[in-house]
Amino acid sequence: MATALPTLRRNWLVTMRAYQWTYFVGTLATGILTVGLAYLAYHAIGGGRAGGGFAAAAGTADYLGYVTVGAAASMFTVRMVLWVAKAQITEQREGTLESQVLAPARRLPYLVGVGLQALTTTVVEVVVMLTFAIMIGVRLPAPDPLTLLAAFVAASVAVFGISVPLSAVMISVGEAHITQNTLFVAMGLLCGFTFPPAYLPDPLRWLGEALPVTSALRALRAATLEHAPLSIAAPDLLLCLALGLAYLVVGLRLLGPAERIAIQRGGSA
Amino acid sequence: MIVTHELRKTFPGQRKLFRPAGPATHAVDGLSLSIPPGAVTGLLGLNGAGKTTTIKVLATLLRPTSGSVTVDGLDVVGHARAIRRRINLIAGGERMVYARLTGRENLWYFGQLYDVPRAVLAKRIDELLELVGLTDAAGTVVERYSRGMRQRLSIARGLINAPAYLLLDEPTLGLDAPIARDLRAVVANLARDGVGVLLTSHYLAEVEQLCGHVYVVDRGRLVAEGSPTALTAGTRLPHTVELTLAEHAPAVSAAVAALGAEFEVGVDAEERPTFVLRSPEDLTGELATAVVRAGGAIVRLEVNPPTLEDAILAMAGAPAAVAAR
Repeated sequence: MATALPTLRRNWLVTMRAYQWTYFVGTLATGILTVGLAYLAYHAIGGGRAGGGFAAAAGTADYLGYVTVGAAASMFTVRMVLWVAKAQITEQREGTLESQVLAPARRLPYLVGVGLQALTTTVVEVVVMLTFAIMIGVRLPAPDPLTLLAAFVAASVAVFGISVPLSAVMISVGEAHITQNTLFVAMGLLCGFTFPPAYLPDPLRWLGEALPVTSALRALRAATLEHAPLSIAAPDLLLCLALGLAYLVVGLRLLGPAERIAIQRGGSA
Repeated sequence: MIVTHELRKTFPGQRKLFRPAGPATHAVDGLSLSIPPGAVTGLLGLNGAGKTTTIKVLATLLRPTSGSVTVDGLDVVGHARAIRRRINLIAGGERMVYARLTGRENLWYFGQLYDVPRAVLAKRIDELLELVGLTDAAGTVVERYSRGMRQRLSIARGLINAPAYLLLDEPTLGLDAPIARDLRAVVANLARDGVGVLLTSHYLAEVEQLCGHVYVVDRGRLVAEGSPTALTAGTRLPHTVELTLAEHAPAVSAAVAALGAEFEVGVDAEERPTFVLRSPEDLTGELATAVVRAGGAIVRLEVNPPTLEDAILAMAGAPAAVAAR
């Protein structure tokens, strides 16, 4: 934590000075629009009923609840990936990568500090989005607190885990936008943020299972929509944690070589 | 001591789509050098000589392709983290600090990354801010700093961990003359206190002033080493003596020619005779004596000994290695 908390503080200071409050409107709009559009489609097109196969595919008949949890998870995922995965390439662009790599601090606590900042920011955004959802009539049943806490921790590890190898890819190729957007599109299609992955062809579903966000979403929905106890959500939680930690370990192994590639590209003489 | 032995760093050729990879670049090619504690060692060469790559390898930012680098006996590849606690790097230009943090916040953050104890850090930050003349601007966000102020903060950052070895890559680039002078004094003091310093600089007067030993590299290879005085003498570049007489004296030309050195005769803007004498040795005394004895009245005498810059340029153009020791 000797590096994580100072990095959290540094990031907050930078964020407060770099961005006006209107910056957060854009990030809030994504979640609010997702829930708002789903609400309109559900009532204007579906007549207030989900399709016949939805309950079987999603594990719940509550379409708006399903989308609301998905939108909250999506905001959290995007925010975490944007901050953690782009942390190193941002250092590179601002000319501080070398001074940071030069220090003996380890990468994991540094990235945890960045992730903590993403987490604290997202909590506020998710609360605003959930308030909006409740205001337009979405009813979320009382969740199982233990399962919800476990799902939240597992989802955090999972999203943090996939962000680390992505960070290595970004600094080694010197590009962020195509890399991050490719991941966002893949996750949006495969992980089940707004529709059940059961609707996808089998190969895509299997691909989706390789991303820990898929099992994290199942666990989050089990906790929030179905009041599932920890024992019911445990297989998804374990899968999510195992995958997230695997991505994390691979990412940390890749970061060192990726940093050297980035520094090497910065000048060869 | 920092020791490199047969250090090589090769960058593979860049690959382009549907095209073969370009040729590899041998940025450092068999470099062996030593940087002792308590002294300032120079690393000189023209652009592209491999100085910055060498410094990045010593700083553990890049790994050597072959050869070895040790810092107090620790290998840079196997013990990078331990070495990072003992060294620091200050590079020229105003980067390497966070633009949206204040000067004090930058030093605080880097102090945390180096795990400097809290009580020590607070005092050290104050001392470093005073050292680089930024005490009054400590609470100002760095993006409002001038280029020189950023560079001064970068110097303070490089000293935040009280390094045993300091790598300086063009540290005075962009600094005002008084600040650059102060930095030179700081570097000299650090060396006196036992810090081993490696300095690269385009300001060769700075190197001559600070360095007891200098390595000269060209295209990644060592071409000479020695003290600045020995390096300059070793190239046998000519001393130039320019002499102006009050009026023409017929015997002077013969007296100058008798010295056996290359010389030119001309006139200055006031139509007074001038002599420019070039010789590997300093013949100023002999020239002045000969001219006076020949009846010449000297109104101006200017002596230009070869500089380290002349020596470096000569070495960079020379095909064979020059041994200055």
